[in-house]
Amino acid sequence: MTDSLFGRGKQCRSMSRREFLERTIQGSALLWVGEGIARPRAARAASQSQKLAALSIPEWKTVEAIAARILPTDQDPGAREAGCINFIDKALANEDAMILPLYQMSLAALEGHCQAVFKNSFAELSEERQEKVLVQVENGTVSGWPQGPIRPEAFFATVRFHTLVGFVANPSYGGNQDFVGWKVLGFPGPRHHMGGGTPEQMVGKQKIKTVWGDEID
Amino acid sequence: MAKREEFDVCVIGTGAGGGVMIHELTAAGFNVVALERGKSYTTANFTDDELGNLIRRSSLAPHQLESYRAEPKAPSRAGRFNNLAHCVGGSSVHWSAASWRYRPDEFKVLSSEGPVAGANLADWPIDYDELEPYYGKAERAYGVSGQSGSNPFEPKRSSSYPNPPHPFRSASYVIERGANNLGYHPFPLPLAINSQPYGNRPPCMRSGQCANYGCIVNAKASSLSVHIPPALATDRLDLRPESFVNEIRLDETGRVRSVSYLTATGEQREVYAKRFVLSAGAVGSAHLLKLSTSGAFPEGLANSSGQLGRNLTYHITAIVGFWTDELSHGIVGQTGQVAIDDLHASDSKRGFIRGGMIMENGEANPIYYAMNGVSQGLSAGTQTWGKPLKDYLRKFRHAASMLAIGEDLPREENGIDVDPTIKDHLGIPVPRITHTNHPNDIALHHYYEGKMMEIAQASGAKDVWKIRLPGFSDLEKGRSQEGSYHLHGTCRMGDDPSKSVLNRWCRAHDVPNLWVVDGSCFPTAGGYNPTMTIVANAYRVVEQMIREAKRLDS
Ligand SMILES: Cc1cc2nc3c(=O)[nH]c(=O)nc-3n(C[C@H](O)[C@H](O)[C@H](O)COP(=O)(O)OP(=O)(O)OC[C@H]3O[C@@H](n4cnc5c(N)ncnc54)[C@H](O)[C@@H]3O)c2cc1C
Repeated sequence: MTDSLFGRGKQCRSMSRREFLERTIQGSALLWVGEGIARPRAARAASQSQKLAALSIPEWKTVEAIAARILPTDQDPGAREAGCINFIDKALANEDAMILPLYQMSLAALEGHCQAVFKNSFAELSEERQEKVLVQVENGTVSGWPQGPIRPEAFFATVRFHTLVGFVANPSYGGNQDFVGWKVLGFPGPRHHMGGGTPEQMVGKQKIKTVWGDEID
Repeated sequence: MAKREEFDVCVIGTGAGGGVMIHELTAAGFNVVALERGKSYTTANFTDDELGNLIRRSSLAPHQLESYRAEPKAPSRAGRFNNLAHCVGGSSVHWSAASWRYRPDEFKVLSSEGPVAGANLADWPIDYDELEPYYGKAERAYGVSGQSGSNPFEPKRSSSYPNPPHPFRSASYVIERGANNLGYHPFPLPLAINSQPYGNRPPCMRSGQCANYGCIVNAKASSLSVHIPPALATDRLDLRPESFVNEIRLDETGRVRSVSYLTATGEQREVYAKRFVLSAGAVGSAHLLKLSTSGAFPEGLANSSGQLGRNLTYHITAIVGFWTDELSHGIVGQTGQVAIDDLHASDSKRGFIRGGMIMENGEANPIYYAMNGVSQGLSAGTQTWGKPLKDYLRKFRHAASMLAIGEDLPREENGIDVDPTIKDHLGIPVPRITHTNHPNDIALHHYYEGKMMEIAQASGAKDVWKIRLPGFSDLEKGRSQEGSYHLHGTCRMGDDPSKSVLNRWCRAHDVPNLWVVDGSCFPTAGGYNPTMTIVANAYRVVEQMIREAKRLDS
């Protein structure tokens, strides 16, 4: 299954891909994904693989570099170590396939900007430069972005959203590898299948077991 | 051809309202067919996957599609705007189980406030005293855990909560401290979650996953855990999941003769019954009535008043986040353990009318918290990504939150009808939402947001921020809201058939054998989570329905 609800057979009847894109953009939603879009369940198996599913190699590198600025690596792991890019690629191949074209158009615009200004790809720029460019993408002032409905602000908000989700969603979706996102948070993993909690744990009087085998307060 | 079967009652929708109807009718000896658009799940189907449940919402309503516009005449766009579960048990499956009784004046908003420009206020045809015994019945059925008398502002009750309250978590004590420091009267939040074994259901396992999750041990009460199993045990319930009702059909005398529904594979079927109960929720019930047009009802079934689909209310949900010095322990426990009701009473001196309740928004969900980092960054004036976002994530264990549910005012323009072009996976035109808030709602939102920030600060919190969820337009510029998780008002009840869709017994004024029993009968929204009022009202209505049916059918 490589397409979303709207792209498949009978379900296509309700709305074409083009119509969907138009409506999404018309809604001028700052976020292309998240609450508003009907999607089937993940092809979870696919998300386990590190093979490219939706993005090209240059696109992968650019998105990975953006994600690394959104959640940088410092004393703790960041987007890179968590594999947020893998999460995003698999989401764009599955539940969020509808917005892949929006991603691709935005990435082309970003590449155009970086080539025009720096004669280099975004992923090759220094981290400082990348941050400066992203500030402009975030506030919509980036130069050379084609006029039209695909706004840089919405692109930025969407990548930020995807990066955050990839960092802390269940690892089976392809991000949060080795639970690094949950470790940064101090989230022990969902309790439902860990026997729940106790009144003592609710007030810090008893340790809480993590899904990776540690204990936390 | 098979012999045409006719049931005593056909119930459409199996959520909070439908569950009571199905249970009581089968217990009284009626043969009931229940048609439910979603699947039938067991606890084994419920996952702890936050992305699927809370963010993508693909788990419990995979086929939900709606459309939204802020104003009549504006073009609509497709999406999933309301937080709904489409499955046996409806949204009672993934609710948070905060269980309240409305205050006496919340049933009499028009007479207590007088008319308000731009709002379509009304009194309920019933009052608190009439509903009071049924609240007791509802609390016993759902096994509400709470401490009777602990909320000094609660209306009088003739029975106590059947279960003791749940213990507090660290964050609950922090909020309690803040509230006490301001002279308020915090108390344990009443929850329809077992604090001890009750009603053949085990006590809560404190997983910190109530809102948006199905309970994997059935400690949380729902139509699925409380009402459907005993109804099935009577052998008088024919439960048909994956049956999407798309038309209600009348006979020549103006009574409902049958409903038609689509199976999962798109096959069209028909069901006949003597009586029909529509419990598809405030969106689903209005949508189905609007889909069911005929010569007598060109604008939707039972719509001689013109009020069908109108007066949709959502509640105001204001949320603030803050960090506590100590660990907050939102990763274990229930929904939230502490509530504050001191600021509820309507007082126009505050710059708005009506009011609401404040409760701990206790569960710590990683994705939800991560997304709210943007709100925090905006409030702190820092960049909403990069190192500040990383620092925000590192404080997850210290995060706490409060939310206020407030009464929004009904507007005639806000409502549900049928989208002229957008269709769902079965080819049915989707429900179209029209919604813009009354200015009173916005003032109320700001007020409670500010008060919750004060409580957080009074607890000692240094960083406090407003959480504005996606799906809301900018509050400062006036507001429209795409969807909600509290839905009421599209088929209001009343004594005057020219101003209401249903009579005081939730029977359609226009159609003698059609009832609508769910959130849609609410003339006004009340200032608490609504479900115990839906459940209590269903008990009130079904009693009358059974009394009458036994008289007529004997
Ligand atoms: C995350 C969340 C948390 C909540 N927390 C609380 C809380 O703490 N306290 C509280 O009081 N309330 C809470 N609520 C609200 C509560 O869930 C609803 O008030 C309640 O479920 C509404 O009951 P209802 O009978 O009106 O409709 P529902 O429970 O929504 O049931 C409607 C049913 O009808 C079915 N249906 C719809 N259309 C059709 C059709 N055409 N054919 C066949 N079947 C159809 C649906 O699939 C559904 O099963 C919460 C809701 C959410 C989403």
